[in-house]
Amino acid sequence: MAELTHTDAVFTPKPSQPPPPNTVGVVGWLRKNLFGGPFDSVMTIIGAGLLAYFAYGLFQYTIVNAVWEADSYRECLDVTQGAGACWAGVDKWMNNYLYGRYPDAEQWRVNLGGIILAVWLAPFWFEKVTQKIAVGVSAVLTYPFLAGALFLGGDNGLFMQAMSSVALTLFAAVWLNVAACYSGRRSLGAVLVQVTGFAGKDDRLYKWVYLAAFAVGFVVAFIFQSTWNLAPVQTTNWGGLFLTLVISGIGISTALPSGVILALGRRSKMPVIRVFCTAFIELFRSVPLITILFMAVTMMPLFLPVTLNPDKLVLVIVAVCIFAAAYMAEIVRGGLQAINTGQYEAARAVGLNYWKMMTLIVMPQALKLMIPNIVGNFIGLLKDTTLVSIIGLYDILLMVRASGQDPKWLGMHTEPMLFAAFVFFVICFAMSKYSQHLERTIGGGYGRR
Amino acid sequence: MSLETVDSEGQHIASAVSDEVVINLSQVNKWYGDFHVLKDIDLTVYKGERIVICGPSGSGKSTLIRCINRLEEHQRGDIQVNGVTMDTNLKNIDAIRRDVGMVFQQFNLFPHLTVLENCTLAPIWVKNMAKSEAESVAMTLLERVQIPEQAAKYPGQLSGGQQQRVAIARSLAMNPNIMLFDEPTSALDPEMISEVLDVMVGLAESGMTMLVVTHEMGFAKRVADRVIFMDQGEIVEQNTPDEFFNNPKSDRTKLFLSQILAH
Repeated sequence: MAELTHTDAVFTPKPSQPPPPNTVGVVGWLRKNLFGGPFDSVMTIIGAGLLAYFAYGLFQYTIVNAVWEADSYRECLDVTQGAGACWAGVDKWMNNYLYGRYPDAEQWRVNLGGIILAVWLAPFWFEKVTQKIAVGVSAVLTYPFLAGALFLGGDNGLFMQAMSSVALTLFAAVWLNVAACYSGRRSLGAVLVQVTGFAGKDDRLYKWVYLAAFAVGFVVAFIFQSTWNLAPVQTTNWGGLFLTLVISGIGISTALPSGVILALGRRSKMPVIRVFCTAFIELFRSVPLITILFMAVTMMPLFLPVTLNPDKLVLVIVAVCIFAAAYMAEIVRGGLQAINTGQYEAARAVGLNYWKMMTLIVMPQALKLMIPNIVGNFIGLLKDTTLVSIIGLYDILLMVRASGQDPKWLGMHTEPMLFAAFVFFVICFAMSKYSQHLERTIGGGYGRR
Repeated sequence: MSLETVDSEGQHIASAVSDEVVINLSQVNKWYGDFHVLKDIDLTVYKGERIVICGPSGSGKSTLIRCINRLEEHQRGDIQVNGVTMDTNLKNIDAIRRDVGMVFQQFNLFPHLTVLENCTLAPIWVKNMAKSEAESVAMTLLERVQIPEQAAKYPGQLSGGQQQRVAIARSLAMNPNIMLFDEPTSALDPEMISEVLDVMVGLAESGMTMLVVTHEMGFAKRVADRVIFMDQGEIVEQNTPDEFFNNPKSDRTKLFLSQILAH
């Protein structure tokens, strides 16, 4: 009994010892994962051998035996005898893979659109920047209009002009906010309040300051964009990776908000809303995307007035958005069900109404849980959009296949496909990695609860 | 055990009951499907009154207090809180919830918000209070529950007792005139029960109207103006703690008391 109790007057805990050396570090990892026993070791060696064999073959084909300069596929074959890739053809067609038939002289607009989006979203990665949600929301809601005006060119009516002015204003606001945050202020809002002399007053008045600043920015942006004179480019000329990114980008950015609304509707207590949302989700989830696409481009125009003359691309984008929303709705519903009823009750008990409860308490928690599924859905959607090639939109996949039918490059199938595969891999892998990063960082330190 | 710890700290704290009615339940009935969980409940609570509700599990005591802020809907009978009648009108329900705070067995803090944000959220979004004001109110309350130094932490970083004290501060931030406690110490480690009970005793001393569902009989003896014993959806007996513990009337109460006080 004496050994079992601390007989000293003061309880002193034993000091912690380091773990046994062969269970940690590189050696520990190798022992645990690759050479855990004879069977594991054999499998590891066989696996490594196979991997090396294929990697070597791929390296030979894509690098060592590859041809980089040629004028036709015939020339390539003469050199390689089929044992190497003909990157010369891919290089010649590269412009089409990326931009479709977008006129060469206007391609800077596509590039500029891409750069604007990247610059707009860049503050996400800046440590000191506050209001990151506003950055994302502003980009998702208004950037498509700015990009549309830029890519289409020509005159698109007052609504598009107004919306792209809003986008320009918010874009400027995002970067002014960055400047404010890095000059030691709390946010652009704080600077505005200080400059206008409202600092220290009731902060419920601040929203009027923000609104006034926004109005000024809007007017400036509107005047600025009305000076643009961009040549119109028909959507039929859009293509390649650019088109793929336009369709999937819009699909991805609308999927989450519309999915949230559908999911809430399906859980609603109001029967009409619930039945409508359930029917919508079930209908579009039970039909293949290709069917929805065909319906959109062949049947929808029959129901619409002739004068409307809907653009094929618009119909396709709407179809993709509907499809993506239906899938996203079920993911969101799953996430909502993971939230403890105690959270709903606590939110109710402190007096929050339904929408405040959802936006302030439930959704922020549910979205964090949903990140892996959401990003998985986004990746799936990006790849699914290649189906638009079947209804004749020249996205990257159809462009890749078209290049093999070019008389000069007849028979060139493997190389463009490898290129397309590489492009998709880079985009999807980046999305996947970023989602893992988000999972780790979002929501501060509430790992255990 | 807890009986002795609380008892030894002092006498029954002075009653502050006025004759103003704040909660009135008459003939309240509730069913979960076929299960009749509340049967003809009549209860009048006066301003400043501290009521402890006890009874075996499944007796309807939690359901009863959850009907008072409409986390549960009753099917028959009338509930009036602060003179507002509980009906399907959302405005009435919101008005009642603004004035009735609630503390849960499982704390139910918002895990994605810091302690301070937990306490300022409702004042800012429900009462439209300025953020700076809400924060100063919240800090005062966190000092009152003795954890101001944890304000910037997330609930997951706190112990159970600390979380429950934050939950109390969060409810108080709405400046309620009635507080409901649904087994506030049942999910706590024994070492942490007294820190939560101390806060509740302090609250009682300040004259708050409190309805407490609990098994802490020491707390009942020390704080309650009235102890209510429920079984099978009915109020079996209600009396002052003195009478209730020393001179129970019904056999069911005697059995209950003998079981919980046996150890």
